[in-house]
Amino acid sequence: MSDKTTTPREITFRVRRFDPDLDSAPHWSEYRLHVHDGMTVLEALHQLKAQQEPTLSWRSSCRMGVCGSCGMFINDLPQLACQTQVLHLGTDVVSIAPLPNYDNVKDLVPDLAPLIEKHAAVKPYIIYLDQIEIDEPSGEFLQTPDQREEFSQFTHCIKCGLCLAACPTVATDPLFLGPQALAQAYRYTADNRDCGMKERLSAIDIFHGPYQCHLAGACSQACPKGVDPAFGIQLLKRALVLDSIGFGKKKSSVAKIMPLADVVKQLEEFAPPPRTV
Amino acid sequence: MRETRLWSWHLLVIPIIIVLLGLHFAVMHYAPVFYGISVEKAREFETMIERGKSVTQLVLYILLLAAALYHGLYGLRGIIRELPMSPALGKIVDYSVIGLGLFIFAFGTYVTWWTYSFKIGG
Repeated sequence: MSDKTTTPREITFRVRRFDPDLDSAPHWSEYRLHVHDGMTVLEALHQLKAQQEPTLSWRSSCRMGVCGSCGMFINDLPQLACQTQVLHLGTDVVSIAPLPNYDNVKDLVPDLAPLIEKHAAVKPYIIYLDQIEIDEPSGEFLQTPDQREEFSQFTHCIKCGLCLAACPTVATDPLFLGPQALAQAYRYTADNRDCGMKERLSAIDIFHGPYQCHLAGACSQACPKGVDPAFGIQLLKRALVLDSIGFGKKKSSVAKIMPLADVVKQLEEFAPPPRTV
Repeated sequence: MRETRLWSWHLLVIPIIIVLLGLHFAVMHYAPVFYGISVEKAREFETMIERGKSVTQLVLYILLLAAALYHGLYGLRGIIRELPMSPALGKIVDYSVIGLGLFIFAFGTYVTWWTYSFKIGG
């Protein structure tokens, strides 16, 4: 018996097409392509464009799950086209549509502006209140591996937007900040170098913030980098509740600064052994 | 007000509702077990007025009313505001829910107080 996930064969691709200059509404087009073992959806799209449909549009770049550009709705699941092997889908008909919960720019290109706007709204950077230290750093922040572990997984976000496409709350409430922005808000507030909880409150402690999450967990399932944004939202809730009752991050727990002289000394201590050749 | 505080109260009133609703059930539906009277007797007007004269009952029922109203209306507001709407309409929903809550609370408190101060035959 042949294995459906590895046997090279003809696959029908149902691609949702939309050209705002020509079409009044999206429509489906079908293409047939011989698919070999290991071929990704992105490679298939490149072949279709080269051999059958030169006007087919999508967004992609790195081809290795790093840039987060090629998010698509493949067989009704938000996935990265470059990480999804056609034969592993196990179907003879593969449907490809633009990510849901976003406006459609053209064919498979979603308008990711809401993702970027929500991400920017939560101030996704370290906020340190000592402006003199920011302008003229006197040393380096100290951070233990345990402190780093508090938020480490959330640094892996590549902003592909799959989590927002999977989120049932975003589907009904477009103003909901969504798993990506909320997980990033947690990532920065949990960082021991950050003092920006108060500055982020106006953006995250709102009706359309973490309390609108329905706990479906679809975001975590969709994330191609193994990040668990649903968990991040729960951690953010805990941080917000603790902050609201006066048990938030204390000044004493903010990262200490190691003077540059000590940093140099430590670098010398851990310097590599002298070259032997 | 910070949404965190509103949401925290939404959760904090749950144990209050469980305890006070439990007491309400004991008084109204399990009267034979806790008070040795039939359920029909517990629901009679005279019995209700008699119960209503207790200060403890007055306080606990007003507390139950406040807790249940807050919990229910916060949930209702969440469901309504999840529908697509402008921020201005969202504010209108917020204030309408607050107004509705205050009206029901005032009415419920009045009824409880009326029962407390009612004089049979007077």
